[in-house]
Amino acid sequence: MHIVVTIKPVIDPNTPSVLLKIGKDGVTLELPAGMSQIMNGYDANAVEAALALKDKHGGTVTVLSVGDETSKNCLRRAIGMGADRGVHIAGPTGLACDSSLIAKLLGAAVGKLGFVDLVLCGRQASDTDAAQVPFLLAGELGLPVISPVKNIQGVDDDSAVVDRIGEGCTQRLQVKLPALLGISNEINKPRPAPLKGVMLAKKAEIPTWTHSDLGIEAPQPAMTLRRLYIEPPVETRAELIAAESARAAGRALADRLRQEGKI
Amino acid sequence: MPKILVIGAISEGNLTGTSLEAVTATLELAEAMGAEVFGGLIGDECARAAARFAAAGLSEVFVADHARHAPYVAEFHVAAAQAIVRRCQPDVILAPSTSETSEWMPILSGRLDAAMASACTRVGFEGDHLLATRPVCGGAVQGEYVLKGGLRIVTLAPAAYEAATLSEPCPISLVELPDVQARVTVVEQLNDQVGSGPPLRTARTVVSGGLGIGNRENWSLIEDAAAALGAAVGATRAVVELGWVPHAQQVGFSGQKISPELYLAVGISGAVHHMAGLAGAKTIVAINKDPEASIFRTAHFGVVGDAKEVVPAFIARVKELRAQQA
Ligand SMILES: Cc1cc2nc3c(=O)[nH]c(=O)nc-3n(C[C@H](O)[C@H](O)[C@H](O)COP(=O)(O)OP(=O)(O)OC[C@H]3O[C@@H](n4cnc5c(N)ncnc54)[C@H](O)[C@@H]3O)c2cc1C
Repeated sequence: MHIVVTIKPVIDPNTPSVLLKIGKDGVTLELPAGMSQIMNGYDANAVEAALALKDKHGGTVTVLSVGDETSKNCLRRAIGMGADRGVHIAGPTGLACDSSLIAKLLGAAVGKLGFVDLVLCGRQASDTDAAQVPFLLAGELGLPVISPVKNIQGVDDDSAVVDRIGEGCTQRLQVKLPALLGISNEINKPRPAPLKGVMLAKKAEIPTWTHSDLGIEAPQPAMTLRRLYIEPPVETRAELIAAESARAAGRALADRLRQEGKI
Repeated sequence: MPKILVIGAISEGNLTGTSLEAVTATLELAEAMGAEVFGGLIGDECARAAARFAAAGLSEVFVADHARHAPYVAEFHVAAAQAIVRRCQPDVILAPSTSETSEWMPILSGRLDAAMASACTRVGFEGDHLLATRPVCGGAVQGEYVLKGGLRIVTLAPAAYEAATLSEPCPISLVELPDVQARVTVVEQLNDQVGSGPPLRTARTVVSGGLGIGNRENWSLIEDAAAALGAAVGATRAVVELGWVPHAQQVGFSGQKISPELYLAVGISGAVHHMAGLAGAKTIVAINKDPEASIFRTAHFGVVGDAKEVVPAFIARVKELRAQQA
């Protein structure tokens, strides 16, 4: 089984809001001092899902990342976890990058890899939160797509059964392979890279493919980012209900909310 | 004259409130663009929803009614939307952002080579292009995107616009649907709604718990408080990941975005991703043992204390007050 996983480097989503600063160009976020971009969390779940399938069924896992040099660090982390090889695709990253452009580059790269059984993408990147690349990439490749997937129930030679997060429900779906799945965080906990993996990943050769290597024209964005802005938080300063004990405070809270007509 | 198509959403046979919010966005945009406004609906036996949609101030509503639309499968919805687009020939498509449109809309945008902006809070028209504002980075930052010519698609976050008011109905036309083979089939569909309370999305009161609840056994604190208040149960992503409650109960950027009158956050730190689901909440009450927890900066009322002591006393007093009232 050949599984391809796509990975985006993103600003750490747990960066405290007070450290978030918009760059002079107005369309990028400045990385706080001492911080570097990390693998998008949902993509780490996708890598783990691919490795779990490889553990069970055998096969190879290829990881792809469009971006600048930081992409290579993310690919190394995936290789450290157990992916077999990584390919870096030169292209834009960050908030200004466009889903359809990324999907075209990834589509051409998957095409160049040859036969694929399963493509796994994180359900969305935690910076743009656009959640479009999985669907557009599936379109480029002519594959059926399901997202967000919170469980892979089983995979056999020509189909997979997965659980999709639906509108207030869980949909158990069967899909013909090859297929593309958008992976959500509920599915697993990504494994840490073992020391041996880290050493291997350090030495791994990671080729860079440009659009001309992929035999396509430089794709154009469908949408452009004009500006980013941060809205000042609405500070309410909570009215704190104090009392001689926690129990008394609980009772006082109920009284206060009744007084306000809230309960 | 340019055309805007607004595609409504149906839940349990009824047109959703978010569909009427999308109509408001559409009518505002139509005014700016000088456009004519059409509706589209995709569902199974959707006559009731269509009748309501037709009264929302549109010129005509195109309906793709077919048994294969329920339970929902993306490929059938995409085929239906393509049929509606062929009839309507729109320049812009708007729709509420739901877990279904989050899947089939980007597939459609790929097929039609249309630029798409998802889960937007604002959509405007300037010069010759659309401007769409959407939260990025889990809601910590806002981005303003430009969508140039050709067909453009925008989905709207819930509660970004007021719901449109209903008036005289417009004509409803059924569209013919092509035969399609879906490569995805539904094996089964399980309802994730827990408890007997109101649905989370539309509840007036919501009691949510976070990691501060401590363990699965203590989760009954949250359920008991919700039952005493007739409220829905919510949770943080951290709690959902531990499997204490299903994903359908998750409040936040990657969960439900809700607008209750009263939101009780118990043992919740107040991370940006969580608060992004609460933009529409009127009154937020926090119970947290850490006086420095960031939730106290956006809450209206707070108790600093251990949830295991505060909440049972709170529930007991709520019950007393309710009994006095009865
Ligand atoms: C891409 C992405 C998307 C995300 N989407 C969401 C989302 O949609 N919704 C969401 O909720 N999160 C989301 N998160 C996670 C979010 O960033 C936070 O990690 C999460 O909300 C924290 O959950 P918590 O408040 O339960 O836990 P914690 O942050 O650990 O907070 C626990 C709180 O409980 C308090 N506490 C501890 N013991 C007690 C006690 N005995 N009594 C009272 N209080 C106590 C502590 O003081 C603390 O404030 C997302 C994260 C990422 C990266």
